[in-house]
Amino acid sequence: MGLSTLNNVRVAGIASCVPKRVLSNIEDCPPSQRAERERLVRNIGIEHRRICQEWQCFSDLALVATERLLDELKWGRHEIDALVVITQSPDYLIPSTAIILQDRLGLEQTTIAYDVNLGCSAYPFGLHLLGSMIASGAIKKALMLVGDKCATVRDPLFSDAGTATALEFAEGAPPMHFDLNSDGSGYKAIILPVGGHREPFAYHHGIPRRDEHGDLHWPADLILDGVAVLNFSIQRVPTAVERTLAYAGVQMSDVDYFVFHQANRMINETIRKKLRLPEQRVPSTLKEYGNTSGASIPVTISAKLRQPLQNGKRKLLLGGFGIGLSWGTCIVEIERACIQEVIEA
Amino acid sequence: MPTLDAFLENFLVAVDFQEAVEVKAETKLADLPEWDSLAALGVIVMFDIEYGKTITGDDLSSCVTVEDIYKLLGL
Repeated sequence: MGLSTLNNVRVAGIASCVPKRVLSNIEDCPPSQRAERERLVRNIGIEHRRICQEWQCFSDLALVATERLLDELKWGRHEIDALVVITQSPDYLIPSTAIILQDRLGLEQTTIAYDVNLGCSAYPFGLHLLGSMIASGAIKKALMLVGDKCATVRDPLFSDAGTATALEFAEGAPPMHFDLNSDGSGYKAIILPVGGHREPFAYHHGIPRRDEHGDLHWPADLILDGVAVLNFSIQRVPTAVERTLAYAGVQMSDVDYFVFHQANRMINETIRKKLRLPEQRVPSTLKEYGNTSGASIPVTISAKLRQPLQNGKRKLLLGGFGIGLSWGTCIVEIERACIQEVIEA
Repeated sequence: MPTLDAFLENFLVAVDFQEAVEVKAETKLADLPEWDSLAALGVIVMFDIEYGKTITGDDLSSCVTVEDIYKLLGL
């Protein structure tokens, strides 16, 4: 499998919502660590991040984005056949957040609704999942809600966002080409080791240890192997991009914009340089929105490509990659779509 | 293979140290105050972009001096 094509599927619109609360990676850092932090920021390219209020979940952001999108598209709630939420920060471990949102959004009980557990690679996989349902003729209109609540004050990388993408059946819509891959041998590269069924949360997981800088770390914290993730990203993504272009019969120069998951500047710049792409065709939102996990592709589209996608037709290559390990590439043409500015909530 | 001098120049750019520091072939990595995981990532990227060579974290862990990293180019 890996490579595939879907026909008659149209991206009707995209809306992205971020929390109002802004964190500065420089200003909010203790003065004693300022010099080290400035070097880090220079390399990861992330100056500001968004973080949810304590009461706020990813789904609250996605709800705002979806309501705005449905209003702007003038789609009735009764028209939505499927609602798929792709997140790794659901409201509860069970039940699915998508089912809760079916009710909160006022969608019909006949709506297909469930969650998919993917992170940074979510967007191309989600387009393929819902696109397949639409291309088969089984459904006509669908919503894909992607994002995560992954920001913490301490970590300088991650940022919160919730997004909504509207897809519909449209006879004759340009084909979407996909290259989707998974490598479970690298599952430890990014992992929350505690809280699942392999290692349920226990009392001792709540006891932190102090590192040489005096910072506290909990056994239940996210583990991220920076070297493994860097090597995975800069080796696999450029190859996948070239493979997808060859499969689709599309030249590099035919693609108007390459929108990659916003991992960090070091990774994204290396991918861009390896593909010999000019900066103007590779929009980035790392500086202002950080790494918003699976939401970073739609957030970047909302923030940087609103005008060209609303007013004309553009060919995009979308590349998601990360936790799993999982990486997917998609070539899609978007024409006169309803793209909303980034919303704050 | 590039000259050692050219490599050292690229190395200093890649590690992006805040404080200027003199680096020679025999300089021990452990003696560089800012040799850390970020510097290691920079070196991995440099190997890929400048020299078209993939190195791993284990490759770097086995290096004691800057020259040991330079020698990875010849492997």
